[in-house]
Amino acid sequence: MSERILVAKVGLDGHDRGIKVVARMLRDAGYEVIYTGLFQTPETVAAAAVDEDVDAIGLSMLSGAHMTLAPLVVSEVRKRGVDIPVIIGGIVPDHDLEALYAAGIAAVFTPGSTTEQIITKVRDVLKAANV
Amino acid sequence: MRLVRDTIEFTANEMPRWHSISISGYHIREAGSTAAEELAFTLANGFAYVELALEAGLDVDAFAPRLSFFFNAHIDFFEEIAKYRAARRIWARWLKERYGATDPKSLQLRFHTQTAGVSLTAQQPEVNIVRTAIEALAGVLGGTQSLHTNSMDEALALPTEKSARIALRTQQVIAYETNVTHVADPLGGSYYVEALTDEMERQAEELFAYLDELGEGSMLEGAIRGIEENWFQGKIADSAYELERQLNSGRRITVGVNKFTEGNDEQQMELLKITGEDETRQRKRLDEIRHTRDQAAVDAALARIAAEAADESINLMPALIDAVKQYASLGEIMKTMEAVFGRHVEVPVI
Repeated sequence: MSERILVAKVGLDGHDRGIKVVARMLRDAGYEVIYTGLFQTPETVAAAAVDEDVDAIGLSMLSGAHMTLAPLVVSEVRKRGVDIPVIIGGIVPDHDLEALYAAGIAAVFTPGSTTEQIITKVRDVLKAANV
Repeated sequence: MRLVRDTIEFTANEMPRWHSISISGYHIREAGSTAAEELAFTLANGFAYVELALEAGLDVDAFAPRLSFFFNAHIDFFEEIAKYRAARRIWARWLKERYGATDPKSLQLRFHTQTAGVSLTAQQPEVNIVRTAIEALAGVLGGTQSLHTNSMDEALALPTEKSARIALRTQQVIAYETNVTHVADPLGGSYYVEALTDEMERQAEELFAYLDELGEGSMLEGAIRGIEENWFQGKIADSAYELERQLNSGRRITVGVNKFTEGNDEQQMELLKITGEDETRQRKRLDEIRHTRDQAAVDAALARIAAEAADESINLMPALIDAVKQYASLGEIMKTMEAVFGRHVEVPVI
């Protein structure tokens, strides 16, 4: 069975071009991809991830809310007794990276990441999570 | 659509010099559409709004002169100029022939332009100044009425004061140093730009024909069904993915991304940091307003919105203005309307 990845938009950020492109990339690379749609909350994302029994969560964030919302997704997931790796893609300045990793984010893709980089890193993250 | 109808109707009657709505293609292009799709989808929405206002009983010449548009300025220079020129041709023809406008002002398409945020790169961000300048020039040569230039650091964060100032200076160089604003439609008559304009028009008309059929002769119905059936969203997502594949395969070049990458490992430039202070300040302002306003008047104003929203025949704008005057918050007004109208939920497709 192929590995399952939930890709999600949390908060009021409606920019969904990146997430849709990445979703298709991952699907073309053989993953089973589930997209939540816009305007999700950390709770709905964590609940969907558990319900769908996914192997990783990808958050797409453009509008600067990553420092608030991404750690909440991690804690909501852990609150449910599972440890699904959470990956961020989007507009994340370098100076925020350390804090995000400290909050338990598994990987961050910043603007200009190529398909190859994303696929390779996702594979590494899934391997590290022993999927 | 109710709110758009009420806005057009209210402003046509009460504020005739106000540009009632800005019909946008910017977000469509940023989401990944091609230039022709941006053009066609935006104008199709414009036709839908015209039909909406006609259905409300307005005369076309009473509101059409005050409709305005908002287009993207992407990096493919001549294609963008052709897009703006095609927009003006199509709008004039449709308003005259299909909607029976007689006031020349109804036939004029006026538009704002913003350079393409999506064309900016995180790599070597200073190069974005050049991209923005070229895009802005396309907007000006294409006849834009107003312009927004993006800042070089917008692929990384909200802009700093300095980078926003450079973006403004870019416009000022075009406006005050180059003299390109001395003439209207400077590329009219160029064999290449005229041919591109014809091609843009042809592609747009093809998309209109599809929507017209989808709406069984109504562009208003066609545009609504196009959204409900995910036709627009699907087309945009397909184009976005195709562009990404071109970039990945090297068929499309972006300097600093898939070619000429020397210098990409330099330290990131100084970026604007948004702190929690901004949020605290805004929360405090809202709290103060909530404690000093006349709460009974706010409740009454919100109740009026709820009652009038439920009655399709009433123009909601006076009730909205009243609520704002009583210092009802945007969130409170939205929630009140949501309780009556519901909220659009898109079925996500990938």
